[in-house]
Amino acid sequence: MTLKAAHMSTSRLQHIKDYFLGGEYTSAEMAAPYCPLTTHVLNTGMGVPGAHVALSLHRMDPSTSLWNLLTTGTTNDDGRCPGLITRENITPAVYKMRFETGQYWGSLGESSFYPYVEIIFTITVHSQKFHVPLLCSRFSYTTYRGS
Amino acid sequence: MSSTLPNSPLTTYVLNTGDGAPGARMALSLHRLDSLLVIWNLVTVGTTDEDGRCPGLITTKAFTPGMYKMRFETGQYWESLGQNSFYPYVEIVFTITNPNERFHLPLLLSRFSYSTYRGS
Repeated sequence: MTLKAAHMSTSRLQHIKDYFLGGEYTSAEMAAPYCPLTTHVLNTGMGVPGAHVALSLHRMDPSTSLWNLLTTGTTNDDGRCPGLITRENITPAVYKMRFETGQYWGSLGESSFYPYVEIIFTITVHSQKFHVPLLCSRFSYTTYRGS
Repeated sequence: MSSTLPNSPLTTYVLNTGDGAPGARMALSLHRLDSLLVIWNLVTVGTTDEDGRCPGLITTKAFTPGMYKMRFETGQYWESLGQNSFYPYVEIVFTITNPNERFHLPLLLSRFSYSTYRGS
């Protein structure tokens, strides 16, 4: 093995070691496999992913009953938004995911019955994975708890 | 259940899809957004009947164009059945541009999912 190859192997091993020991990452793609909360927006009216939908994640402060904004994001071409929250931050609480669906339909030149969609849910066991998808058309929507 | 408002232009229907039964005796409330103050004004509180319906939500006169919110106390509902649920409550926000039409806002609900659509 050349010196360069050995260096690359060592660094690759360190990378894998950090992965298992929960080392810090900056890129969303690296954080995605650890992300305990995921979403997926589907445009059921047109049979396509809900791409470029603005969304935000909030946590309710139990003492004030106010919503604290945690993350804002936009779905990618596949209707997904990696890196919503880290495992450390998803403490047991009431959360709200807000989807700017009205803006989304507006950008497609269409009106919609719902100006936005807010889904409020409770996390009690933070070690699980939670998938909060939104299947929406201009006049209906559905969500469910996935994993 | 008698009602002085048999022809509410806005109706709802709660279905417990987990049990295949109407969502009976669920508390709900209707709110209208005050567009100047950007706060929600409570319009009606009610409870669904044995059939999962709640007649008399709003009068034709009060049903002006605007943004409305229907809130369903789904968490309380599941608790009363001795069960937990992923959603502490459900709020559906919708826009009424033509109040001369009829709007049906059903909620199909289980402990871990829900759906709504605009009916008539």
